[in-house]
Amino acid sequence: MVLLTSIGIGMLFGVAIYQMLQRNVIRSAIGIILLGNAINLFLLAAGSQNGLVPAYDKAKDVMPDALPQAFVLTAIVISMGGVAVILAMLYIVSARYGTGDLDEINGLKH
Amino acid sequence: MGALLVWVLRKWMPITAARGWLLSIFPLMSLGLLGRAWWLVEDKYLSWSWAWVPAANLNISFYYDALSALFGLMVAGIGVLILIYGGYYFADDKDANRFFAYLLLFMGMMLGVVVAGDLITMFLFWEGTSITSFLLVAYKYKYESARKGAFKALFITGGGGIALLAGSLFLGHIAGGYDFKTIFSQAEVIQQHELYWVVLGLIAFGAFTKSAQVPAHIWLPAAMSAPTPASAYLHSATMVKAGIYLLARLNPALGGTESWFWLLSTVGLVTMVTGAYWGIQQDDLKGLLAYSTISQLGVLTFLIGQETEIAFKALVIGVIAHALFKSALFMCAGIIDHETGTRLLSRLGGLRQSMPITFVVVVMAGLSLAGSPPMFGFLAKETLLATAVHPTLSTATSWLFVLAIVVAAAFKLVQAGLVIVDVFMGEPRDKGVKGHEAPWGMVMAPLLPALASMGVGLLPNTAIVATFFGKAAEAAYGDKVKVSLALWTGINIPLLLSMGAITAGLILFSQRSWLIKREERWSFNRVYDGVLGGMDRLAFWATRTQTGYLRHYLAVMMVAMWVLVLLLWRFDWPTLAPFELFDDTRLEFDLIRLVSLVTIVAAAVTTIVLKRDFGAILALGAVGLSVAVYMAVEPAPDVALVQIVVDLLATVILVLALDRLPREQRRAAQTLQSQISWLRAGIATGGGLLVAGMSYMALSTRPRVSLVTPYYEQSAKALTGASDIVGAVIVDFRALDTLIEITVFSLAGIGVFTLFRWAARKHGDHEAAVANRMEPSLAALMQFSIGERPVSAYLQAVVTMVLPVALVIGGIHMLYGHEQPGDGFTAGVIISLAIGLWYVVFGFRETRRRLWWLRPHGFISLGVLLVIVTGLISMGVEGYFLASVDFGKMIGLPLPEGMKFSSGFLFEVAIASAVVGGVSLILDTLGRPAALAVQIHRAAQAEFDEAEKMDSQ
Repeated sequence: MVLLTSIGIGMLFGVAIYQMLQRNVIRSAIGIILLGNAINLFLLAAGSQNGLVPAYDKAKDVMPDALPQAFVLTAIVISMGGVAVILAMLYIVSARYGTGDLDEINGLKH
Repeated sequence: MGALLVWVLRKWMPITAARGWLLSIFPLMSLGLLGRAWWLVEDKYLSWSWAWVPAANLNISFYYDALSALFGLMVAGIGVLILIYGGYYFADDKDANRFFAYLLLFMGMMLGVVVAGDLITMFLFWEGTSITSFLLVAYKYKYESARKGAFKALFITGGGGIALLAGSLFLGHIAGGYDFKTIFSQAEVIQQHELYWVVLGLIAFGAFTKSAQVPAHIWLPAAMSAPTPASAYLHSATMVKAGIYLLARLNPALGGTESWFWLLSTVGLVTMVTGAYWGIQQDDLKGLLAYSTISQLGVLTFLIGQETEIAFKALVIGVIAHALFKSALFMCAGIIDHETGTRLLSRLGGLRQSMPITFVVVVMAGLSLAGSPPMFGFLAKETLLATAVHPTLSTATSWLFVLAIVVAAAFKLVQAGLVIVDVFMGEPRDKGVKGHEAPWGMVMAPLLPALASMGVGLLPNTAIVATFFGKAAEAAYGDKVKVSLALWTGINIPLLLSMGAITAGLILFSQRSWLIKREERWSFNRVYDGVLGGMDRLAFWATRTQTGYLRHYLAVMMVAMWVLVLLLWRFDWPTLAPFELFDDTRLEFDLIRLVSLVTIVAAAVTTIVLKRDFGAILALGAVGLSVAVYMAVEPAPDVALVQIVVDLLATVILVLALDRLPREQRRAAQTLQSQISWLRAGIATGGGLLVAGMSYMALSTRPRVSLVTPYYEQSAKALTGASDIVGAVIVDFRALDTLIEITVFSLAGIGVFTLFRWAARKHGDHEAAVANRMEPSLAALMQFSIGERPVSAYLQAVVTMVLPVALVIGGIHMLYGHEQPGDGFTAGVIISLAIGLWYVVFGFRETRRRLWWLRPHGFISLGVLLVIVTGLISMGVEGYFLASVDFGKMIGLPLPEGMKFSSGFLFEVAIASAVVGGVSLILDTLGRPAALAVQIHRAAQAEFDEAEKMDSQ
């Protein structure tokens, strides 16, 4: 399963990068969200135990690692905030340049 | 210690009346205290230390002995005179308070350098002198020469400062401590250490830049654009002596080796001769004095390089003699400049009649510069010559040294002659230049050191001074030094050489028209300009690499990651987990995981394939939900719940954002999709492969034993009363993290709001310019959803009911957050989702009108404040911030089983509140209909104009 999970995460990551590189503003935003998903999956899978029942007190069987879960939970919420800010910025910039094509937005370069 | 106290006081002293006499109290006080302190220590030393960063073994410490006293008294003593002088110099300048503030600050820094007790403290003050000197040189910042000179001084001495710091770190590392006592005791170790030459090079470089040794001397003439009091003080008597002090201070630890001798002697001699020669070529009086200073600094550096008793005798005498006559000369130059309006030798002349007292002062100081009896300068030169003819040197070098010193002495005599004769004798070269005598206080300031110059030479009872000098020289030399200040020591080689030098100087002076060229020559300024220009060009080319295209940056990052992985990997595989696809004991789990992974990847690929943005966003939502499935079988129910609701919310936000983009723009951007870029695909494939490989290694090889998790598992129930361990980690164990997290999230909401409302408005983006200025009568128009389409009443009814239901679900999540899946995040996002639905269905206006209680900023502040207040209350109960307290049990509230009124519950409420606030800010801003708003605004404006017209008629 480790192998399959790794391949899955890798593919998700690759798609995320591909989307981030698109010239369309909205696709870039999608890429960022996908990237966040890939990273969260990785963190969660990296927990120290392979659980069978949820992490609750007095569980009858092996619990998963609670710590990465807490981290991932936090990360999900934070990344949504981040996505909102990025969207706002993408929107503002593209509105100012009057285009949704990121390659045409290069006034900040010089 | 005394100097310290004064220094601290002085820094805070208001510079109000700020005129010389008043301010001279400060250096006078430190002069008195330093003297008093010296009287207390006699031949021991005072030291004091305060642990600054104990972990890094850094202290602020001070060390006060005879050498410190010598330099400290010099700094404070000349400081008194300079302040009095400066008071007259700036008599009619209202802006000069700034100057005095800088000058006093500099004085404090300089005293700090000489009483510092360890290398790090010394470095701090050292840099302080560089910076204050920069401010002083740039005082007349309206002149380009002042700015350039200041920058040059800062650039060179600052560079030296960095070298000094590096050298100090090496030295401290070798010696096992930064304080001078430790370093002195480790002298043997340091000199034998293999890194000795590094230490020597770095520290000597620092000292050379500060003390203007060739080729770093170029900053000193450039710094002459400072007001004359500053030049007289910094660039003759004090700051440039800091390097000398450093070398003298470290001589017992570093000195005495062959490399020390050759380095200091060579640099010193070269500086001495070139400085003396170039000095003659100057037309500017201050420039001449600056080069003469460089020459003298060369002499002092040379002396420290020698390992003989008499050299250190010469050193202390030279330091003081130079400080006295050079400050006097500089002040006179300032007076001449002040009273005649020029300081060019080619224009001055014949000032003897109009400025008699200044003339007398210049003659006395000039004779000292020339090294003629009975002045102090003569003594300095005598001892210097005695050093050079000392029998310990080999014959050849000895004669080279002697020759160099005689030549330099002759040049110096010419300099003195130029200053005395060309300025005061004969007729003015420029008839327009007329001088008159300066106020008495202004003349008195240079008169005193000039008199002292003579006095030390002439007065018979100099035993106390001699003893003091002897002690200072001992501190630098490391052994007994006997100093006698007798002028006449019988006819010996130094005296004969001195006579020779004077004769040569007189001959040169009489032939000066042949000697003096005063034309543009090659100098090290070219090197300096070249270096700066090169840096500019380098920066220019470095910024050219910024293409501005995201794919280029990402490609570089991916390649760099690959390189890093390959480098660190070093071609040995870690032992990986057994290569098995499924784990037999959890086969059913693994099958669900596989399915979810397949859906994830398939949906992700769909986001690429689908042509329309809306479809891609929906596919993205599918990715998020499949991830939630994977999480649920982890099993991580809390995370899965949050993932579901956040995924939905993200989809809503994306749709809202999509709606705001003009349609034609979107269409144009969508057409770009069909072009498949191989670069893009390559980068993505490379990244994906890398991450897959890294994940495989990380997941299969890391030790599956967590350090903290067992603690959380055992104490969750006991300490926080929570069954849900994940919940306990978030609200109790790592509560501070969570507090910061909700703050960040709220900031994201505020950031979106600000970006759209203020930044956009500032730049005149039209949709942002439409504020909440709608007429209530127009509310009827608002029965449109997002996208300006009417919505069926049935749907509206359902949506209206969703919000209360969401509130109830959210409340349950908060109440039972510690017992079952779900927590404040989930609650907040669920409520936000309901609100988001309202925005989609009812449209912006209607939602705002009906949900009048929804004040995003209020919710955010409520959330963050609630956490802090709860944390503080529980600190009162339990003793530490954000402790877990069950308030319900404390006050005996009758609550049903599993429901708690605890700090955890309040925390959940706070999280939910902050999340609702943040999300509704985002929704509110993104959901504000752009085109519609403009349209309605225009309608309202037209109506308003109509009404205006009616009124006026």
